[in-house]
Amino acid sequence: MKKFSLPIFLALLAPALAWAAPNPRLAIPEFAGLAQKATESVTITLDPALLAMAGRFLDGNDPQDAATKEIIKGLRGIYVRSYTFDKDSAYQQADIDAVRAQLAAPGWNRLVETHSRKTRANVDIYIMIDDNQAIGLALIASEPRQFTIVNIIGAIDLDKLHKLEGQFGVPKLDIDLSKTPAQGAQK
Amino acid sequence: MSQEIESRMRAALRPVAPREDFSQKLLARVIAGQPAQPKPRRLLAASARPLAWWLTASLAASLILAVGVERHLEQQRLQQSGLEARREVVEALRMTSQKLNLAYEAVKNQSTSLADEKSGV
Repeated sequence: MKKFSLPIFLALLAPALAWAAPNPRLAIPEFAGLAQKATESVTITLDPALLAMAGRFLDGNDPQDAATKEIIKGLRGIYVRSYTFDKDSAYQQADIDAVRAQLAAPGWNRLVETHSRKTRANVDIYIMIDDNQAIGLALIASEPRQFTIVNIIGAIDLDKLHKLEGQFGVPKLDIDLSKTPAQGAQK
Repeated sequence: MSQEIESRMRAALRPVAPREDFSQKLLARVIAGQPAQPKPRRLLAASARPLAWWLTASLAASLILAVGVERHLEQQRLQQSGLEARREVVEALRMTSQKLNLAYEAVKNQSTSLADEKSGV
């Protein structure tokens, strides 16, 4: 009886531990109504299998592909929803709030929260840290005619992600990633 | 007259004793149970042999071709899925970096204006 008690105990404990572990996967709504109104919509759902498959089609000799390959190596999922409209205020703030509310859960830390008067763009960046390692990233960008939600799951190397920007022709960020989330947050 | 006809018929239909080996041959054939095949059928079987061979060969070739085509299509499907996944990864990371840049611009502008305020410009 003693032989079986430990495995059984662990088996019973596993679901409870899984439930208690921080989950960086956001429940992103379907936004079906918004997709119909949008002039352009991007829906990207990449699970571990698709990420592995994509990795096999990235050319290690190409600098951009090599950098991308390096980033996705530790990832378990990338989820993107982006909608562009032809007029202002085509979407409700409540549409985004459903996602934003999930970022109030324990484990999520706000890295940056910005508001630009010039472009009227709000960008909130959250990371989930577990055992001193970023295991999730959430980005909500809302502009008058566009909103984008990005959720990246897995061992994210922010330095590598940061370095990737130059590869896509976008200037490099100068965010000090060594700062704690609270210090990095802008209000 | 009628007697003459009768006697002629009797003469014509008189019982004839079988040859000595008749019963032996008959018995041997019954025991073997294999009646000799008629010549025309033997000729047909001989001509059908190459036809059967060609049919078998064609079926085998068709099967091999079908398997080959299926494998090729499967490879193509895999390649298409892989390329699509690759495109999505690049697109997702491009969008992420674009939004990070937007945040960076906002942070930079705020820092610049704060520095300007401090220096009294």
